[in-house]
Amino acid sequence: MNGPLIVQSDKTLLLEVDHERADDCRRAIAPFAELERAPEHIHTYRVTPLGLWNARAAGHDAEQVVDALVQYSRYPVPHALLVDVAETMDRYGRLTLSKDPAHGLVLTTTDRPVLEEVLKSKRIAPLVGARIDPDTVAVHPSERGQIKQTLLKLGWPAEDLAGYVDGEAHPIELAEDGWALRPYQKQAVENFWHGGSGVVVLPCGAGKTLVGAGSMAQAKSTTLILVTNTVSARQWKHELVRRTSLTEDEIGEYSGTRKEIRPVTIATYQVLTTRRKGVYPHLELFDSRDWGLIVYDEVHLLPAPVFKFTADLQARRRLGLTATLVREDGRESDVFSLIGPKRFDAPWKEIEAQGYIAPADCVEVRVNLTDSERLAYATAETEEKYRFCATTATKRKVTEAIVRRFAGQQILVIGQYIDQLDELGEHLNAPVIKGETSNLQREKLFEAFRQGEISVLVVSKVANFSVDLPEATVAVQVSGTFGSRQEEAQRLGRVLRPKADGHQAHFYSVVARDTIDQDFAAHRQRFLAEQGYAYRIVDADDLLAAE
Amino acid sequence: MSTEEKSAAPRSLAEALRGRDDASLAALLRGRPDLITPVPTDLTQLATRAGTRASVVRALERLDRFALQSAEALAVAPDPASYGDLLGLMAGDPGDTADPVVAAALPRALGLLRDQALVWGDEDRLRLVRTARELLAPSPQHPSPTGLGPTVREATAGMSPGRVQEILAAAGLPSTHDSVSAVAALGDLFGDREQMAALLRTVPEESRAVLSRLVWGPPYGQITHDPAPHLRRLLDLGLLLPTSPGTVVLPREVALHLRGGRAHRATEPVPPPVTAAADHRPEVVDATAAGAALTALATVEELLKDWNEGGPPVLRAGGLSVRDLKRTAVALDVSEPVAAFWTELAYAAGLLAPDGEPDERYAATPAYDEWRELPDAERWALLAEAWLLATRTPGLIGGRDAKDRTLSALGPDLDRSAAPEVRQRVLALLAGLPEGSAPDEESVLARLRWERPLRSPRRDGRDTGGAGGGTEDDLRTRLARWTLSEAELLGVTGRGALAAPARALIGAPAGADGARTAPLAPAEQVAAGAAAARLLAPLLPEPLDHVLLQADLTAVAPGPLERPLAEVLGVLADVESKGGATVYRFTPGSVRRALDAGRTAADLHAFLATHSRTPVPQPLTYLIDDVARRHGRLRVGAASAYVRCDDDALLSEILADKRAPGMGLRRLAPTVLAAEADPAALLEGLRAMGFAPAAETAAGDVLIARADAHRTPPRTPPEPVPDGPPVPDDALLAAAIRAVRAGDLASTAPRKPAPGAASAAEGTPPRTGPAETLATLQAAVLTGEALWIGYVNADGAASQRVIAPIRVEGGFVTAYDHTADEVRTYPVHRITGVAELADDAG
Repeated sequence: MNGPLIVQSDKTLLLEVDHERADDCRRAIAPFAELERAPEHIHTYRVTPLGLWNARAAGHDAEQVVDALVQYSRYPVPHALLVDVAETMDRYGRLTLSKDPAHGLVLTTTDRPVLEEVLKSKRIAPLVGARIDPDTVAVHPSERGQIKQTLLKLGWPAEDLAGYVDGEAHPIELAEDGWALRPYQKQAVENFWHGGSGVVVLPCGAGKTLVGAGSMAQAKSTTLILVTNTVSARQWKHELVRRTSLTEDEIGEYSGTRKEIRPVTIATYQVLTTRRKGVYPHLELFDSRDWGLIVYDEVHLLPAPVFKFTADLQARRRLGLTATLVREDGRESDVFSLIGPKRFDAPWKEIEAQGYIAPADCVEVRVNLTDSERLAYATAETEEKYRFCATTATKRKVTEAIVRRFAGQQILVIGQYIDQLDELGEHLNAPVIKGETSNLQREKLFEAFRQGEISVLVVSKVANFSVDLPEATVAVQVSGTFGSRQEEAQRLGRVLRPKADGHQAHFYSVVARDTIDQDFAAHRQRFLAEQGYAYRIVDADDLLAAE
Repeated sequence: MSTEEKSAAPRSLAEALRGRDDASLAALLRGRPDLITPVPTDLTQLATRAGTRASVVRALERLDRFALQSAEALAVAPDPASYGDLLGLMAGDPGDTADPVVAAALPRALGLLRDQALVWGDEDRLRLVRTARELLAPSPQHPSPTGLGPTVREATAGMSPGRVQEILAAAGLPSTHDSVSAVAALGDLFGDREQMAALLRTVPEESRAVLSRLVWGPPYGQITHDPAPHLRRLLDLGLLLPTSPGTVVLPREVALHLRGGRAHRATEPVPPPVTAAADHRPEVVDATAAGAALTALATVEELLKDWNEGGPPVLRAGGLSVRDLKRTAVALDVSEPVAAFWTELAYAAGLLAPDGEPDERYAATPAYDEWRELPDAERWALLAEAWLLATRTPGLIGGRDAKDRTLSALGPDLDRSAAPEVRQRVLALLAGLPEGSAPDEESVLARLRWERPLRSPRRDGRDTGGAGGGTEDDLRTRLARWTLSEAELLGVTGRGALAAPARALIGAPAGADGARTAPLAPAEQVAAGAAAARLLAPLLPEPLDHVLLQADLTAVAPGPLERPLAEVLGVLADVESKGGATVYRFTPGSVRRALDAGRTAADLHAFLATHSRTPVPQPLTYLIDDVARRHGRLRVGAASAYVRCDDDALLSEILADKRAPGMGLRRLAPTVLAAEADPAALLEGLRAMGFAPAAETAAGDVLIARADAHRTPPRTPPEPVPDGPPVPDDALLAAAIRAVRAGDLASTAPRKPAPGAASAAEGTPPRTGPAETLATLQAAVLTGEALWIGYVNADGAASQRVIAPIRVEGGFVTAYDHTADEVRTYPVHRITGVAELADDAG
């Protein structure tokens, strides 16, 4: 009994990373446990019903899970926990969704009382049709997603054996000339394809677009790609043209400005969720072609209405891509039940160790408010407090100092408040990209930044996602969307793309000390700290004095 | 010892008892301890007491299923019955169908019934104690589990003689002169297998089908006013006898014939075995149990720590409110029933109790502080012993009592006297399995039901009758289930199998057959507890002296921590996850708490540096510094005491004194000095300097935010409420038997003829037993005769008197005293003896 794993009674698993058997153990528990935190010494995994069911779906049984726990555990595993694991896993597969030649989609059971129990539920009743025999009940084909979601909530997850439609075939090949998919990308594509549908979690900068492209090359069918905004849509298009056999003409953009429907169509969430007179006019996009694959970029941002549409698309293969499956609204389980279970997940530090993302030096700079600012802060209304402390004048001085220190490198300054950004832009003599900047102007500025014509760019949260800025090496965050963990991760992602010269990336977060700014910062950093990014804390005075 | 009587057949239970040796009497008294509370004066009284209804019911309830079935069979057999009769009823008619297993097991069952003084008499004249017979024999109001009806004689009791003769004639028997002999002849016919078979061949198939419906009971059937011919035929032959208008009964003899002589449809001569559901390696079992034991200790400590600064209030009716239980469950991160279990366990172990103040709250007892100081293994042994012996039953919590009130944790009405016995028994059964075997729960329950069928009837209702109805019925089963789950929580079992320390705890060495039923004596239990603790100690992991600090502001203790370390960390950080390891999270709030508790930032840095194997992460250093910086800014808690004086000069004088620096005084304001020394030291120091300071406790001045732990006054743990008197130990038994024998000898020794006037003159006072005294006095009241009594007055002086009793009541006899020539009242217990006067004495 000297294993690397400690099984806690609250069903968390603590893995001691420096242990000689840690890697074996990690492999053994990965199928059923979610990596929750990965700081330097002890990684925390959590065993959830969802995780156990996903493991069952992937073909693991309770015995394997129990074996893994018992084999690697340092202390005896509580009996109750083992019993619970076995019982939970036993619940999976009692119900199956399948295609019946005569009755269409049916829900079958191997355990009649379970079927009786779920049919009694008020939430299931409207989703099912006639009882075909004691063990089988018809399901309205359109409710396939809904019933899976509901059954999961009832604790009787259904195994979906109804399969997928192939969709309209369209030849897509990866154009691997002078580059190749990285091993983990290949693994991700393979896992996704094998599983049918699901979510791939990769750090920012680790090449999620290529996982999408790889999956399309597997599917070889018409594909609908949903992205967060137009800039991101253009980048997807650019990347697909470069990396696959697809040509410009085969890829359509469906956004506020253009409404093209081509074999591969890239649409923004915004246009899909536009509502006019209570209806979503662009919904027919989903039905406009016989899509064989639907890709959801940045799945953690999936807006609620898209969940609803997705529920109707259960017969099509669905790929979710994200860097941080952390939703501040806690709807992770909807992502799992509607898009699919997590098929691939790699800790950031692991990818970093393989050299595919740049190592980053994360620094939190703490600035003091001046006396007058403190008074203003103390007397501000609650909703104004964050703005007061986040936009302190000292932050400007600190930002200037950092920009001076890294002069010559590509620097991004990211913030929340336009006034603050405008002021910074003025002092740093740098262009500012914000919501009102036109797409044309944005792309021009990005291109100039990419070419090194400008070295400092001030951006608002419009640039949070999918802005490909390959040579940004320093990011300075002056303010953010309160305590958003995924925003912090996305922003760090801006500088993680591997650098041509292999040098380190720098991420500065400037925080006003002893204010809610600091509390928010602590919350924002939690995800990254759990991924093993240790923030260094520096005093603004020291930083200014070092000048 | 009246050995000479052994040869003669006993004529009563008392005589049968008299014939038994001391060991067998001791066995009886051990099995039925209610018989010697109080110690009976002689064997006659013992026999009488053994025949009382309450005592017999109690004895029957303690029979196993087969012994009970044997008793039931005896109750339907003739009285007295021979061993052959009984064997026939239990195993079926002699021949191929007789069950050899039953025949083999019957002597044991009969022996048990004899031991328990429920059956007495020789092999050929077995008698069931009359009360037992009344309890077990079938009657219309109280059907027997055998499903048999009344005998022909009982069923024909109210029948007209003419009708009886008609039946006789129909059955082809010669008529007799009177009903008694007619009924006897009919009974003989029904009891004769061959003739009966012949008789039954004469009735139509339909009729036989009717009989077979009634054969296994219930034996009663309904008929219409004008029965169908096939029923008519049965009635004519007396194969069915009317009991009341519209109801008929199958006579016992007929049913027995149809059953092949069996009293029971199915007998269970051998106890159902406890089967193993899973086999684990004993090391795994012990380790798992040790893990659970450690969790148990941590949970109890956490519970009481949570209640340290004033626990939840005591409800007016006693106990913990549902809300407080919920809160406790959330705090312990367990389900409510489990939280209730831990609370009750701590209560049973005497670690928590109501504090007895006007606004009564629960709090830890002083015993808790002692308990905390013990080594882990001993602490566990104390908890486990308390659990084993407690009659309080946490499983009931949340349920409702007979008056539909919710049973609350720590509340009243949770005592179930059967609980300790069931716990011991379940553990003994587990001990009977090989090491590392986890039992099949249902087989354990089935075994328990077999052992006490009347206390835990099956749900199918085959066992009816006996005492205890309603919800109490399956209490034992529920207790057994609770025992199994609680044992797992407490670490008595691991993976369902009994762990080695628990084996020691119940005094069952490895490999024992689990036959031990009697609980350990208190002294043995203490030794067993110590043995259990010795076995457990090496299984518990060594406490660690370090933690792993991480940049995400967590600390992981990869095992149990040394107590001082755990205590400081518990203040400095919040516990996020428990189990084999503990995960702590540092937050500004938790660091502030540590500072509030009187620690300084430097302290904390040093503490973390000492106990971390890796460098302290920078964010953590910053966190502590940041909190400490703001903490200090308001200067709260930095000073330990102050000196206040309106006279500035006097304060200056103190500051200037050579002895002042030791107290760390500094001036905060012209009239206020702050001191680093604590108030007591400061007072002492100032007094030593020749001042006369007074201690001050101004409202609102909090010096150090460390609350005193709240404790109850000394409390004893709740006494278990046992079922009936405790089982007497051997010394008491021996003494009791000696006393009974002596009394018996005295009462049964051959007597001299009643002493006459002559012997009175000789001055020998009569001596009689209290019962006889009372009886003679009462008789004298009726006859009005004078008696000669020996009497001891309040001073102890013996005298003899002649009295004519007038009345006897309330332990006093009122009588005309011939000696004193007046009416006097004497306490009966002061009368040493009475004797009737010789006829010429008046």
